[in-house]
Amino acid sequence: MQNAKDSFYVALRTRLIAINPERTILLRGAVRPGILVEDAEAPFSQLPNDVFVLRWLGLAVDMDLASAMAAEECEIVYQTCGTQSFGGLDRGRALSEMDEELTAMIQPFYTAKLNFTAQPPSAMLTQVFWDEPGFGPITIQRDRLTRTAKVSVYSYQEQGE
Amino acid sequence: MAANWYSAPAPVARRVRAYFAPVNRTAQTPVIFDPAQLWNFSLDSPPAPWISLGWIQDFTRKPTGKMSSLLTGIPAATLEQVRETVGAQVSFQFLSWTKLTMALATGSQHMNLLAPSSGAAAAADGAQAAAAVTVQSGSTATFVALAATDAAKFTPGSIIALDVDNTGATGFVGSPVSGAYLRSAVADVDYIRRITFNVAFVSQSASAGLTLAGPLLGGAPAAGEKLQAVIGFVDREGGSFYQEWSALFILQGSQGERIFFYYPRLQTITGAEEPLVPLDIKKKAGLNRVLLGAQFQALPVTDPLDGERVVCYRSFVPAPNALV
Repeated sequence: MQNAKDSFYVALRTRLIAINPERTILLRGAVRPGILVEDAEAPFSQLPNDVFVLRWLGLAVDMDLASAMAAEECEIVYQTCGTQSFGGLDRGRALSEMDEELTAMIQPFYTAKLNFTAQPPSAMLTQVFWDEPGFGPITIQRDRLTRTAKVSVYSYQEQGE
Repeated sequence: MAANWYSAPAPVARRVRAYFAPVNRTAQTPVIFDPAQLWNFSLDSPPAPWISLGWIQDFTRKPTGKMSSLLTGIPAATLEQVRETVGAQVSFQFLSWTKLTMALATGSQHMNLLAPSSGAAAAADGAQAAAAVTVQSGSTATFVALAATDAAKFTPGSIIALDVDNTGATGFVGSPVSGAYLRSAVADVDYIRRITFNVAFVSQSASAGLTLAGPLLGGAPAAGEKLQAVIGFVDREGGSFYQEWSALFILQGSQGERIFFYYPRLQTITGAEEPLVPLDIKKKAGLNRVLLGAQFQALPVTDPLDGERVVCYRSFVPAPNALV
């Protein structure tokens, strides 16, 4: 299941670089694409603005199949206060921009499943796939706009997993 | 070399994609789809002459053939089964309104509403059309060469229909798609441009001619064919003409597997229907999307492989690395 989660994250990260290479984050001394997995970083007291944060929540496994299928629920959280140059008055536009980027990142709805414990990552036999995201309403905290989108990510368990 | 494999569960697919190709009505020849050669074509650019009609919904296949038992003995028991009739129906909903989806979803002939001439008498399927302009040599499937004075009559954003004059044709008319069947000659010189499927959207106009947003179904027009502006489309409940097309429906699985349903001959069996789907299922009295409902009867062909009469071919190309 970890391979599926890793593959989903790397697919979205690769697509984000192509969609908006300027969306980056300085994290642990390195400039990286503006998308991260919450459980793979040090705990945040406050989620960073203007990046996509992937949070893995629910899990279901269907074992009555020729290969067991895992369904993992991924919550993608993103928030913004707009830009300083506009005094934050562009925060609505900035969130819309992130909505559009996520909509573009999520397509196509599949990616090859890779094993990232090997270097270079090795291709596995199946594909990871998912459905359309369910976008939640905007939550407003002072000048911060936050949205959460949920995606169900499916994968087949392969031998050795 | 060695290969690894896995046991693939039943395919998981999001949607069904539809492709149609015109049957040659005069020769009664459907378009062949060979899954052995074309199994991996890009869904966004189907091989000619297949035309993508996009995603469809509520795709339902219904076999209508009947089988019965040959009984023997006392008490009777089934000795053999025999196939009494061969038949199948297909129904689905188109998610867009275009010339082709409208035509396929109507049980009758489908026509273009040609831009009318000034002061023409009213007619339910479009008044007498403004005079057609003649295509010049040098045209391609996406560019129509015109004289400068003719090109000036069309603006970007307009729709055009392009075909020959009607000079008393009878039988199936329209090329490459038969759009109507004339039992006797009609007087309207624009009749073939009324029923032609050779329509396109003008993306640019210049003194040399018109650039089209997509290729004409008939390919590069010949010099001497004529062009008229189109306002929209019209079909009628009634009439005696049946649309007939070859159809291909594809389910693309999550692991790259593909299921093909190839119907060599499909004829529409219902009149036009427009199912309404609410945009918000909680507000059924609110906005609705208007879809085109389509239902078809599959007609048989004789498979040259063994002479069997069949109405549909279902093909399956397994996912890479999947056990079969």
